[in-house]
Amino acid sequence: MSARAETIRQVQEIGVDQYQYGFETNIESEKAPKGLDENIIRYISDRKQEPQWMLEWRLSAYNRWLKIKEPTWSRLQYPPIAFQDYHYYATPKNIDQNMLPQSLEDVDPELLVTYEKLGIPLREQEILAGVPEKDRVFSENLSRSGHVAVDAVFDSVSVITTFKKELAQVGIIFCSISEAIREHSDLVREYMGSVVPVADNFYSALNSSVFTDGSFVYVPKGVRCPMELSTYFRINERNTGQFERTLIIADEGAYVSYLEGCTAPQRDENQLHAAVVELIVFKNAEIKYSTVQNWYPGDKEGRGGIYNFVTKRGDCRGSHSKISWTQVETGSALTWKYPSCLLKGDHSRGEFYSIAVSNGYQQIDSGSKMIHLGKNTSSRIISKGISAGFSSNTYRGKVSAHRQAKNARNFTQCDSLLIGHDCSAHTIPYIEAKNAQVQFEHEATTSKISDEQLFYIMQRGILEEEAMALLVNGFVHEVIQKLPMEFAVEAQKLISISLEGSIG
Amino acid sequence: MLIDRTQAEEAIIENFLNSDSLPNLLFPREMREAAMAAFKEHGFPSRKRESWHYTDLRNKLTRISSYSDDHNDGRPILPLILGNVLFSVVNGKAVSNSVLPPVFCTPLALSPSRALNILRDFSITNVISQVNTAFASDGWRINVQKDVFLDNIIEIQNLQNGGQSHTCFSVSVAEDSRATILERQLGDDQESFLSSVSDIDLAEGAEVLWIIIRERGILSTELNRFYARLDKGARLKLVIINAGLHLLRQEVHIDLNGSRSDFQLRCINLLSGESHADTTMKIRHFARSTTSKEMIRNIATDTSCGVFQGMVQVLPTGQKTDAKMLCQSLILSKDAECHAKPELDIFADDILCGHGATFSTIDRNQLFYLMTRGLTFVQAKAVLVKCFIKEQIEGIGQEDIEKALHGVLDHWLFLHL
Amino acid sequence: MLEINNLHVQVAETGIEILHGLDLVVKNAETAAIMGPNGSGKSTLSYILAGHKGYKVTQGDIFYNGQSILGMNPAERSALGIFLGFQYPIEIPGLITMEFLKVAINALRKARGQTELKVPEFINRVKEIAKRLSISMPMLKRPLNVGFSGGEKKKIEILQMSLLDPTFCVMDETDSGLDIDALKIVADGMNRLRSSQCSFLIITHYQRLLDYINPDTVHVLSKGKIVRSGDRDLAVYVEKNGYANIIGVSCG
Repeated sequence: MSARAETIRQVQEIGVDQYQYGFETNIESEKAPKGLDENIIRYISDRKQEPQWMLEWRLSAYNRWLKIKEPTWSRLQYPPIAFQDYHYYATPKNIDQNMLPQSLEDVDPELLVTYEKLGIPLREQEILAGVPEKDRVFSENLSRSGHVAVDAVFDSVSVITTFKKELAQVGIIFCSISEAIREHSDLVREYMGSVVPVADNFYSALNSSVFTDGSFVYVPKGVRCPMELSTYFRINERNTGQFERTLIIADEGAYVSYLEGCTAPQRDENQLHAAVVELIVFKNAEIKYSTVQNWYPGDKEGRGGIYNFVTKRGDCRGSHSKISWTQVETGSALTWKYPSCLLKGDHSRGEFYSIAVSNGYQQIDSGSKMIHLGKNTSSRIISKGISAGFSSNTYRGKVSAHRQAKNARNFTQCDSLLIGHDCSAHTIPYIEAKNAQVQFEHEATTSKISDEQLFYIMQRGILEEEAMALLVNGFVHEVIQKLPMEFAVEAQKLISISLEGSIG
Repeated sequence: MLIDRTQAEEAIIENFLNSDSLPNLLFPREMREAAMAAFKEHGFPSRKRESWHYTDLRNKLTRISSYSDDHNDGRPILPLILGNVLFSVVNGKAVSNSVLPPVFCTPLALSPSRALNILRDFSITNVISQVNTAFASDGWRINVQKDVFLDNIIEIQNLQNGGQSHTCFSVSVAEDSRATILERQLGDDQESFLSSVSDIDLAEGAEVLWIIIRERGILSTELNRFYARLDKGARLKLVIINAGLHLLRQEVHIDLNGSRSDFQLRCINLLSGESHADTTMKIRHFARSTTSKEMIRNIATDTSCGVFQGMVQVLPTGQKTDAKMLCQSLILSKDAECHAKPELDIFADDILCGHGATFSTIDRNQLFYLMTRGLTFVQAKAVLVKCFIKEQIEGIGQEDIEKALHGVLDHWLFLHL
Repeated sequence: MLEINNLHVQVAETGIEILHGLDLVVKNAETAAIMGPNGSGKSTLSYILAGHKGYKVTQGDIFYNGQSILGMNPAERSALGIFLGFQYPIEIPGLITMEFLKVAINALRKARGQTELKVPEFINRVKEIAKRLSISMPMLKRPLNVGFSGGEKKKIEILQMSLLDPTFCVMDETDSGLDIDALKIVADGMNRLRSSQCSFLIITHYQRLLDYINPDTVHVLSKGKIVRSGDRDLAVYVEKNGYANIIGVSCG
């Protein structure tokens, strides 16, 4: 057997079973009863001590959800989801909503071990943050790069947010969405649902009725957020749905870079994740949103794994505003995700950089939508898909220019790489122009790793697996570069792990 | 299950009640009934059907021109190139009596359907087959025998001045033969509605150049399905020029069944007024080492709309496929639209597939440059548009055909720019 | 020492035979030139020596220092010291040249039982060679061969050759597409390595390169076989009289 065939065999055998983050944390938890009805929604809202308007919002979303049909247009194939078999709320038991931990000492040590395994730099930061006269230390740190404020979400609850006070000094609000609903009700009420309407789609309606936690960021006028903001999501409980809700607002001239990372322990049951992320950018402001998603992908037979249905949308409301989405998707059994930009402001810009890696029996249907509404708007889509094993990897994207979007410009490049002959790759772009002054360019390729490239590299003494790894890294290089430095290395490692056996 | 039928759907169903005189030899009545049953169930597709997303037939076809089986207007016109052997259909009836040995040809109304390779599929999105099978009245069956190099061009004329017609063309080219087929879809400015289905089989080593020129009136709606199957080493080059129509759905389905078979498409859509032209293509690479290349160019002026949906599919058996697809659109007016959906659907790994799409308008610098050299605005524009499309008809390798096609393009540019 | 015995080689995909029983010996520290008209099988010979999968040996054998290399993959052959300078170096988007060089040199050192080269030492070595070849450092931060001119690509080949400590270099039309200055630089790179007892197999269509690198032996390849062997004078003869004479003689 040639080394290449051998590596393909290895991917099939071990690739997906080597999920590094498949440990489970033994923390007692409190769960809502299985199933979904108005009472469960009341229960969630009550546990979170939400204001009345929020409960009404949830209930109305729930009633809309009941009337919307589950979408069937994607290439994903899966047995019907039994929505009544999920727990819609789970929380580590010793976390009292009234007494969210103010420092890491208050957090269950088991949980900290979990985060350590995940490589979240919580404790380091807490040490830094715990230094007396931290304000002074912090102001020094502000100018230094490499600092990350973290909001950690465990099943349904945000357990800790670091650097909160320090951020508050420059006027930035960074907290869990639950806290924001209580403490910054006006902002939440004004902006939540203004980009992704409640009834936008089946999953956004579901999320709107039962969302549990997520992050809230508000960056005031003219403030450049001095550090990366980050959220880590983790599903630990069995049969738990996680419904993350994130809302980020960058006021005029503001800038923020935000990163989310996701993991889930190994489980046989498919766990449901339906997130909604809304970004709002005003004049001259910019949000950079990066995702590293490595939810459990299921085992080598295709059992288990996360169902990931995500609605992410950014609204460039002001002129010269900018949104940049970067995603590295290596996990989940199913991924249904199309981070989009509404380019309303004149001269606004949207970007989407994506790496989607599928192996085993994973199915990915992902891409982006760039909707050009304002004048002189521009967008760029770079998508790199890698399919291996028995997986199916679909890029689905839309670029459209409306009548008023004079001088709209788009460049799209989507490339797919196939490793092995049991996987498939699909490219489905929709390109629509409704005025004469558009400049759209779209390019796509699908191929396997080039034999000639492989030969050239191996001729220089590099063994096949490493040569493949170099070529895969080269294939995704352009997108990796777009990630914040701190996460680029992690992302590259993740890609190697998810293709383990095939690229060394 | 449709609750409300549109006026057009009602008309189609009503027409079928008056279609007893259709030749049963072509399609037996049961088959026609089955096709109509499917139509009754599904109706015209709306934008909710993925493959009709940009051509909402249900809403665009507000009415259907009148149906009658003794409509009599028009006659065959002179062949495009002197010496072409003419096979005409006028108002849904085969009229000429050309003989071209060693080609076997006969009007379809006189051919039993089982002698044909026409494949019928009445699935939900295939409204063209439904309507065409229900109403097809005539057409031509043309079989080119083995080892024949045809010097003469076979010219198929499908002429429709007003009213309705539904025609089929069944063409087979046997082993190692070569043929050039020119299909002209013609009609005047009367309101007309027609469907036309071409089924083509290319045997091993066959080589065919097929050219479709469509010059219909501004009230003409045409549903066309071109379905070709290529055996080992067969080559098909399809050139399409759409230069006049109201509403067109041109489907091109190609199955590359034999290894090393090759398909080439060069398509030009010249759109003016309220024209809506939808080119929907699906290439299936079933066999090893098959190749395909499709190039589509749209010119959209006034309030017209150009649609291209193209899917290149490589099945697991299609290793070593090389496929390229490129759709380029030039939008010349602020109210014109173009939409493209170029898809790759790949199930084999040792392949090289790519597609590209560009949308743009005329380069102002080029326009300015030409005008400083004395060309008027209109002349300069025409020169640049011609440059954009003429590449599509170059390299055909037959001078008289290229000359005739240039004539078609120049005529349109003269009238519409 | 390289020894090729009665080598028959086919294109794997089509089964068409390109080399029909080729015999060749290149001794240690010998520089041999292979000349021949287009389509004589010169490039096939270079690919088969480096272990390209697209070609299949149906008969005969290749020995390097007494060991058959036919069962080895390209990386293993490279570890033995066989280096192929490509006629058309491959472009690899996204793979930074410097990064690639580092991985390659350490892969080879590992295979040869040497310790990994430390980063500063690696950089110094690259800098030194690059300077000699007038390759700018910014160029090495670009993706491998992507957008490089023909001459730049050939220089990068020589850089790799100089860096990877080969013992046997197959240079496939290294002189093609080079202007006179680049040709001198490239020849100089090769001559330096010659002095360190490295053997060369120089594949060339013209004898231009041989003005700068004086070969010990010259072989004329035609229709998949060596039809004439000689010394430097054979190359001069070919340059003056063309191939027809030699090929004709062999056929007659």
